[in-house]
Amino acid sequence: MRSDTVEKSVLSVKNLKTYFYTEDGIVKAVDGVDFDVFEGETLGIVGESGCGKSVTSLSILRILDEKGKIVEGSILFGGIDLTKISEEAMRKIRGKDIAMIFQEPMVALNPVFTIGEQIVEAIVLHQKVDETTARKIAVDLLRKVGIPEPEKRVDEYPHELSGGMRQRAMIAMALSCKPKILIADEPTTALDVTIQAQIMELMKQLQKEYGMAIILITHDMGVIAENADRVVVMYAGKAVEYTDVKTLFNDPKHPYTWGLLHAIPRLDIEQTRLYNIPGIVPNPLKFPSGCKFHPRCEFAQEKCRIEEPDLEEVAERHFVRCFYWEKVEEAKSKEVGDRR
Amino acid sequence: MRTETKRIIKRLLRNPSAVLGFSLLIFFTLVAIFAPIICPPQSYNPYMIPIATWDKTPQPPTAEHPFGIIDGRDIFYGVVWGTRTAFKVGLIVTLVSTLIGLLIGSVAGYFGGWLDEVLMRITDIFLSIPYILAAIVVTAFLGMGLNKVMISLIMFGWMATARLIRGNILQVREEQYVLAARALGVNDYLVILRHVLPNTIFPVIIQATMRIGSLVITAAALSFLGLGAPIGYADWGSLLNFARNWLLGSSGEAFKYWYAIVYPGVAMVLFVLAWNLVGDALRDVFDPRLRG
Repeated sequence: MRSDTVEKSVLSVKNLKTYFYTEDGIVKAVDGVDFDVFEGETLGIVGESGCGKSVTSLSILRILDEKGKIVEGSILFGGIDLTKISEEAMRKIRGKDIAMIFQEPMVALNPVFTIGEQIVEAIVLHQKVDETTARKIAVDLLRKVGIPEPEKRVDEYPHELSGGMRQRAMIAMALSCKPKILIADEPTTALDVTIQAQIMELMKQLQKEYGMAIILITHDMGVIAENADRVVVMYAGKAVEYTDVKTLFNDPKHPYTWGLLHAIPRLDIEQTRLYNIPGIVPNPLKFPSGCKFHPRCEFAQEKCRIEEPDLEEVAERHFVRCFYWEKVEEAKSKEVGDRR
Repeated sequence: MRTETKRIIKRLLRNPSAVLGFSLLIFFTLVAIFAPIICPPQSYNPYMIPIATWDKTPQPPTAEHPFGIIDGRDIFYGVVWGTRTAFKVGLIVTLVSTLIGLLIGSVAGYFGGWLDEVLMRITDIFLSIPYILAAIVVTAFLGMGLNKVMISLIMFGWMATARLIRGNILQVREEQYVLAARALGVNDYLVILRHVLPNTIFPVIIQATMRIGSLVITAAALSFLGLGAPIGYADWGSLLNFARNWLLGSSGEAFKYWYAIVYPGVAMVLFVLAWNLVGDALRDVFDPRLRG
C-alpha cells in the first residue's frame, strides 16, 4: 500500500466511523475501518453478522438511513473525498462509478417493473442514450450475464425469474454503466450452493472483462478463500486484520481471525468436536471497554480490558489490531506440534 | 403486460358483483354523457331544472313527467342531470383530496423525522374535527354553492389517504429495491415516484373509488340541509330537500308522494353501490396475494 507503485488504489478508506443515533443511544456500527481497493482486484470484507460489513458498504455509497452518519474518516475515490462532496455530486457517482449488488435478489428488484424497465432506468440515468438504445444495451447485458433468451426475459417481471436469474439480472443492472468498483454485499448467501459457484464465476469473468475492482462482503470464509485477493477482517465495527488472502489463511495473526479459521471443519485431521469462538458478538449499544474482542479472547490480558490496540503493521502489508499477536503465533506453532 | 390485462378482465367477469358494479357505473356514465339528449335543456344553464308548473304540491308521474313533479320541477330532469352533478362532486373531490393526501403522506413517510412528525400532527388535528360538522361550518363560512361544498369536502377529506399512504411507504421504504435504486443514483423524488408509490398506490386507488360514492351522500346531506347547490339545481340532494316537506302524505295516504323520495333516493343508492362494488372488484384484482 505504501511502497507499491505498480498497483493503483481506486478507493482508499481511512479510519471510517459511521454511527447511528438511535433512541436507545449511539450505535457505533463502523468504528475505525481502513483499507484500499486496487484496480481490478477483489477486496474481501469478512466478519460475523452485525460486525459492520454492510454499513461500511452503505457508507461508501452514502445511502445510510437518516439516523446513520459518517462521523469521521475519509473515503478517497479518484482523489475526491466522498464524505465531503454534495449529495448531488454523490448521486452521479452512485451506479455510474460505484455500483452495488445486494444479498437478496428476491427483494432487491422492484416487483412492479419488468427486468428490462429496471435496467433501462439505470442506463438512462447515467448515459445519454434514448430508451430504444438503452433497451438494446439491456438485452446485451442480460445475454452477457448468462440469462437465456434475453429478448424474452427482458419483458418479464422479477417474480417470473428464479433466484439465480434474478441475481444475474441484478448484476446486469449494476454493470450497465461499467462501474470502476462493484460492491457485492453477500451476493450468494441467499442462493443455493451450485448457483453460488456460478454467480461467483460470472463475477470473476466480468471483473476481468471490465477491469473493475470488487468489494466482496461475506461471512463465508470459503467464498473469501476462493475469490478475494486481499481481505479485511472486521469485528464489532473495527478492522482487526488486513492482509492478502494467502497470508491471512496461512498466517493469521489476530486471535479472532485465528478463531474463525479454526471454526472451519477440516477433513484431513480427526476432529471430535468443531471449534467455536466462545461467547457472542457484543451488543453494539454496550461494547466492552478496551479491545472489543477481549471477553471472547483466550489470549486476553489485563491490558486488553483497559486499552484499545491500534491497527499496526506487523509484517509487510499485514495489519493487525492486537497487543499480543505474537501469542497467537506461539499457539499456532504449538498446535501444529500437537497435530504431529 | 397484455396477458396480465387479459387475466384481470377475465377475473372481473367471473365475479357477478363486479359485473353488476361496472354495469351500473357504465349506465350512470351513459346517462351523464347523454343527459342533453335524454332531457334537452330549456334554459341557458342546463343544470337548473326547468319549472313545469307554479303549483308547489308534488304531482304524480305522468307520461310527460315520468318521475313526477316536486316544487313545480320535473324530477326526471333533476335525476338525469343530477347524475352529472354526482360525478362532478364525487370525482373532483376524491381526485383532489387523494392527491393532497398522497403528497402529504408520501413526504411524511419517505423523509420521516421531524417533517413526518409535523405533517402527521396536522393530520391528527384535521381528523379530530367531526367531518360533517366541519364541512357545514366551512360551507357556511365560504357561502352557499356547489363549489364551496366541494372545497370544504376536499379540506376535510384527505387525511385517510395521507395516513394510508404513509403507513405503506414506511413499510416499502425498508425494502431492498428502494436501497438498490438509491445505490444506482436515483434521486429521492424519483425513488418515491417510481419505486415507492407504484408499490403502495393500489390500496389508495381502492379507497378512493369507494369514497366517490360516500362523498355523493355527504354532498347530498349538505344539500339536504340547504347548504349545497342553489334551489332548483339538478342535484339529488336538492331534490330530496324539496321532498322534505312531503315525506308523509295526508292521513290514510302516508306514501302519497313516494316518487319525490324514491327516484332521487334510488339513483343515489345505486350510484354509491356501483362505486363500492367497483372498489371491491379492484381490491380483488390488485390484492398482491392474489397476483402472480
